Amino acid sequence: MLRKKLYILVAALAAMAAILAACSGGLSEEDVEERAQELAAERTAGAMTEADIETRAQELAEEMMAESAMMPTGERLQAVKDRGKVICASRNDVPGYGFLDAGGNSVGFDIDLCRAIAAAVLGDPNAIEIRLISAAERGPTIQSGEVDMLVRTVTWTTTRDAQWGNYAQTMFYDGQGFMVRKDSGIESALELEGATVCVTQGTTTELNLQDFSNQYDLNITASTFEDTEAVKAAYEGGTCDAFTNDRSQLAAIGSGFDDPNAHVTLPETISEEPLGPVVPHGDDQWFDIVKTVMSILIYSEAYSITSDTVPTAKTGETAIDRLFGLEGSFGQESLGLSDTVAQDIIMAVGNYGEIYARNLGPDGINLPREGSRNALWAEAPCTDCPKGGQIYAAPPR
Amino acid sequence: MEALIRALSYKGIPLWRHVQVVQWTTQIVSGVLVVVLVVWFFANIGNAIQDREIPSGFGFLDREYQTPIGHSFLSYDSSDSFLYAFVVAFVNTLLVSVVGVILATALGIAVGVARISGNWLVSKIALAYIEFFRNVPLLVQLFFWFYIVVELPVWQDSYSVADLVFLNNRYLAIPFLSPSGLVGALVWVLVSVGGIGAAIFAYRRLIDREVRTGSAAYPILSGFAITFLVGALAWGVLSVATGDAPFSITVPNPQEPFGRVEGGFVLPGALITLMVGLVMYTAAFIAEIVRAGLQSVSRGQRESARALGLSGMTALRHVTFPQALRVIVPPLISQYLNLTKNSSLAGAIGYSDLTNVAKTMTQTAPAVSIFLMVMIAYLVLSLTYSLIGNLYNRHIRF
Amino acid sequence: MSSNVQMDPGGMETGRPLPPPRLSRGAVAWLRDNLFSEWHNSLLTLITAAVIGLALFFGLRWIIAGADWAVISTLGGRMIIGQYNIEAACPGQNCFWRPQAILLMTTALLGMAWGVVGNGLTKRIAIAVAVVLSLFALLPYGLDTMGLDVRLLLVANLPALGLGWVIARYTPLRTTKRVSITVVVAFIVALVLLRGLPGVPGLQTVSVLYWGGLMLNLLLAVAGIAISLPIGIALALGRRSNLPVVKLLCVVFIEVFRGVPLITLLFMSQVLVPLAFPENFPQNSLFRAAVVITLFSSAYMAENIRGGLQSLHRGQAEAARALGLASWQTTLLISLPQAIRNVIPAIVGQFISLFKDTSLVYIIGMLDVVEISRAFIQGNTEYLGSAKELFVFLALVFWVFTYGMSYVSRHIERNLGVGER
Repeated sequence: MLRKKLYILVAALAAMAAILAACSGGLSEEDVEERAQELAAERTAGAMTEADIETRAQELAEEMMAESAMMPTGERLQAVKDRGKVICASRNDVPGYGFLDAGGNSVGFDIDLCRAIAAAVLGDPNAIEIRLISAAERGPTIQSGEVDMLVRTVTWTTTRDAQWGNYAQTMFYDGQGFMVRKDSGIESALELEGATVCVTQGTTTELNLQDFSNQYDLNITASTFEDTEAVKAAYEGGTCDAFTNDRSQLAAIGSGFDDPNAHVTLPETISEEPLGPVVPHGDDQWFDIVKTVMSILIYSEAYSITSDTVPTAKTGETAIDRLFGLEGSFGQESLGLSDTVAQDIIMAVGNYGEIYARNLGPDGINLPREGSRNALWAEAPCTDCPKGGQIYAAPPR
Repeated sequence: MEALIRALSYKGIPLWRHVQVVQWTTQIVSGVLVVVLVVWFFANIGNAIQDREIPSGFGFLDREYQTPIGHSFLSYDSSDSFLYAFVVAFVNTLLVSVVGVILATALGIAVGVARISGNWLVSKIALAYIEFFRNVPLLVQLFFWFYIVVELPVWQDSYSVADLVFLNNRYLAIPFLSPSGLVGALVWVLVSVGGIGAAIFAYRRLIDREVRTGSAAYPILSGFAITFLVGALAWGVLSVATGDAPFSITVPNPQEPFGRVEGGFVLPGALITLMVGLVMYTAAFIAEIVRAGLQSVSRGQRESARALGLSGMTALRHVTFPQALRVIVPPLISQYLNLTKNSSLAGAIGYSDLTNVAKTMTQTAPAVSIFLMVMIAYLVLSLTYSLIGNLYNRHIRF
Repeated sequence: MSSNVQMDPGGMETGRPLPPPRLSRGAVAWLRDNLFSEWHNSLLTLITAAVIGLALFFGLRWIIAGADWAVISTLGGRMIIGQYNIEAACPGQNCFWRPQAILLMTTALLGMAWGVVGNGLTKRIAIAVAVVLSLFALLPYGLDTMGLDVRLLLVANLPALGLGWVIARYTPLRTTKRVSITVVVAFIVALVLLRGLPGVPGLQTVSVLYWGGLMLNLLLAVAGIAISLPIGIALALGRRSNLPVVKLLCVVFIEVFRGVPLITLLFMSQVLVPLAFPENFPQNSLFRAAVVITLFSSAYMAENIRGGLQSLHRGQAEAARALGLASWQTTLLISLPQAIRNVIPAIVGQFISLFKDTSLVYIIGMLDVVEISRAFIQGNTEYLGSAKELFVFLALVFWVFTYGMSYVSRHIERNLGVGER
């Protein structure tokens, strides 16, 4: 009986080993070395010309490239078209960027960027699927490539660019600031020595706060909350001396305070927060498509073309006609987009200025744009250059 | 044919009908199957993490954490490592859990007894308490307490008792002992603990004698006297020997301009909120367990106790309750586990427990590794409770 | 009860007639017996009465004068079905009738339960549910979003109840067993109806991403408890078995799932589990969450049932063995039915916990009733100040459901005679 047990155990171990072996696929280093040796052997045998060797080496290199890339160039566009939907990872509890309207629909600046991509690729801005994710899930989600785009107020940093995915284009410049009660008499964040500061678990909000506190030796105590409504109550009730968040969020949340005028935002901006869409690593075409769509949004505003004034016949202005597919090309066909892609996008979601106004401007959380970094760099053609803004993209031509 | 059957038989019974063989085969097959599945699952995950270059591993643990932790019982500085920060957060959760368990048990027993009290109003209030706190999600309750704490006065207008105790919407600060010298304090604590041990020993011996002789031997009084005497004696000797009392009392002293407190012992408002929320919630469940346990003791036991002339309280303490414990303890342990796990909601009200800190950590370190560590940490806590509970359970079983 | 009759122990001996027993009827007597029987009872009564009075005063004053309930009417139906009928979920159609049809089906099932069981608790619950649902049709709030069709379908709950009752009384479906099977079938039909059938006009697929609100909480809780029952039984039996390997596996499973917060399990299910399958493997986050919730719940269920098995007298199993039943027969026919009956209150308690825990699905981005409300006020800052009102309302919503369940549980407990030995 003991023997029988032993047999079964051995069989099981063998099965496990087989499964483990099957799991590790792809080209291993030994494979490459083996191939290289084969190549060398054939060459010494004199059976190959130099050109042959070149092509063989090329093939090998390509094979290795294909193995390492998750989704080779061009596949994601096809996958999106087959699926009939663009999947964007976002959120719906941030005023202005991604939130629920009274009808229960997901709306906001980030959502509109996703809609613009859907309009460009599929011709239908509503062909989107919003996947709601928590802050901790952002990295794993975009790394696994299960979504086409991450638009969730993600700050562009070098580490994230290296580890998570490719940042396509900065669509909003934010920065972390402080808000205090007016009657506290505080005028600078440097006066916050020994203060307790309320902070929401955000992107890198707490890290920035600590850096700032260390740099100026302020010994700040942080009170970390998961949610905005608790932070609002805690700060308004006086359990914190200050409230820190991205400036856009300070403005939005502050407008919901019982008395918005009793609070003031301090002049210091303690961090750089350029926000924009992120695409998974490995598909250059998809990366370029997203960048191009962002460029179309920005340049339509620069050319003063809104969703109501989209040209469908030649206007005579070369730059506008080129952008809207009425004359020449700005490279859209080599990305697999239709000639009139800009028409589809702008008719569906409007230009950058309209998106801003709808979500972040007067019709949204009312962030002033004129004179801020989020104004256009200039009107084009420009008469009084520069306007001082930083919203700029690759010119479409 | 016969040879074949004999070869396939064990002690004269064909293998496929031999109970032991069949049982062992099923066990081994199922065991191997589960192990293979688990290995397959994790091997796949491992491969995927490697292929897709998802950050993982534990190399970050000795890096500096560089992020604030709102409140901690251990001293913490932003230049400490991730590992130490994790330990700091774990200790926060551990203390919340242990203190919460003790308070919830006390309150739960009180409410459970009140539930079967003869006073109609008290019994109905206990019922209302149970039905309210048991049936509303804990998160909602935490917010309820959170808003109440926020409604307390700001620190400038604290409720204060003779400038010794301060209560406001940020903290409760009380005077506290602080050690004057490390050696003196340590020696005094050790001697006092020894004194408590001696007191417990004496208490047991005196109880034994009481039972044997039937005459009063004052066990409780003697126990307290021994504890106090040993402590006072050690205090006196140490004060003379080191020229300084082993502990001095520090008084909390809020500082301008932001109300930070020097000295004393400070309980942050978020911790109070969390503790009240967890204790009130868990106590409602414990009360129901206690009630069910007390009612499970057969009526005859209570009646016999009355017949022997024991008063209501004495009967409860010496007859009903010890018997009810057998029914109470196993589900009680489950509630301790629940309390510990529920403390992970602390982030909602701004307390830096293990889960809250871990979530912040995921912004600068691999999320997968961190959540794995969090799971293991809670598992260790839970298993410890289970172990203690099971040992105690064995102890009280007849 | 003991103080109802004043005994006169001396009466027998002196031969005098006993004085008439003091009456304990009427309000004063009741008060004396129940509230003021002794001095410490009186004190307790006064203190608790004062506390309740104060709490009621401040509570009511806030509810009537202080609170602003606009956020509740703005959210309205979103709390019940989440994003289910928004344009993105259901392009070109209004899918609202589907959850409502499921509601009608549920009331019809309640009617059937009433028809089968007869009267008592089931009848009261069935009628109460149908009446309350049809009263919702009279709600003044959100007139523009709540059209006439929606209101009519709500009123239709009353005839649906009647229909169920008639079916259970006068058709072949009149045995308990057949009604139980109908319930299972109805649950599957409800799932199909919610999901939609591709190709069938009017039943276009609605992605599970848009399932939400209270509907989602109930769905997850019901599915979780129903599926965790058999798994829990298996685990409990495994833990009590004398086969060491099986026992070990069950113990490890139970302790691991019981010892870890559900929130971390859900997170892992979202981040790690997808990695275990090939990239193109069809994945569904709601399904993963449902599996995790079910496994978590089965670990608890196993412990409940183990408790029930332990409470059985050894004599039961021995008698069964003496009658010649095999061990599996003993377990299935003798031990389990009694054990489960003993722990029905615990199972209901587990159901209540599970129902409350379902709101943790926010971690995987599902908008259950709590999360959709919170997301709404966080995203629309003009409602940020209404968090208190929202939480009070949510507490009430959960309370209604869970109190209903614990009411049923106590009723069952009384019928089974637990605590009356």
